[in-house]
Amino acid sequence: MEIEQRREGDILVAKILNDRLDARGADDFRKAMSGFVSDGNRRIILDISAVDFVDSSGLGALVSALKLMGGDGDILICGAPDSVMRMFKLTRMNKVFRIFEEQQDAVRALSVE
Amino acid sequence: MEHKEIKLVIDSELKNVSLVGRTINGLVSMVSPCDISPYDIELCVVEAVNNCVEHAYGKQRGHEVEVRFALGRDRLVVDVCDTGKPMDQRHLAEADVAMLEIDHDDIDGLPEQGRGLPIIKEIMDAVIYQSKGGKNCLSLTKFFGSGEKTRRCTGGQDGD
Repeated sequence: MEIEQRREGDILVAKILNDRLDARGADDFRKAMSGFVSDGNRRIILDISAVDFVDSSGLGALVSALKLMGGDGDILICGAPDSVMRMFKLTRMNKVFRIFEEQQDAVRALSVE
Repeated sequence: MEHKEIKLVIDSELKNVSLVGRTINGLVSMVSPCDISPYDIELCVVEAVNNCVEHAYGKQRGHEVEVRFALGRDRLVVDVCDTGKPMDQRHLAEADVAMLEIDHDDIDGLPEQGRGLPIIKEIMDAVIYQSKGGKNCLSLTKFFGSGEKTRRCTGGQDGD
């Protein structure tokens, strides 16, 4: 799992560079997110604009990442392609995560909080 | 043509699942009517193959997962088969879209797994599991719509 990181103040913007978030990469993704949280990141934007396929294991890894926050922090998602967004809606993930089309909109949303 | 069928066989490794997924997506894109989403069918097949690798074979390599893609006049059928540990039929019977509902007040209680079968049952029109002679097959069926929607996405001709 390749994840590109950059900072916007105290916000970590993590962009998944792989085109799939699935059972094969779910464990690596969990470990990466666990590392971000262990490093003290509490405001994370996950850019999935390069991801064109997410399965239920990938969703599980996203949920796991959110639970790692323990209610003290937030993970926003941006850039979901239409097909992935429909999957998020089917599985109600759009009610679990705040999802934005553009990365800058997600940054703006976290910045004003 | 009345019936078209393609069989894919992979070794039981998660790294191979995307090969099947992408192939199914491509096949659906090429031969199915526009009202069937290639992504949805790929998702269901990937979930089914993941189950074979992770549960039927316990993530052990060296076993076959067979995927048969068949296109009929009014339906698309994908059979996903393994020869590993059979699935408890109750898992399929109990899988329901209600399992995808979430409780906003209990994020810690959100399940991290168990969405595969509910997703499959929500997307597909018929899901049947059979275990016979040491071979387990999950059969996924999606029926085509009618009218304009039955036109193929490429060429705009009615399906035959």
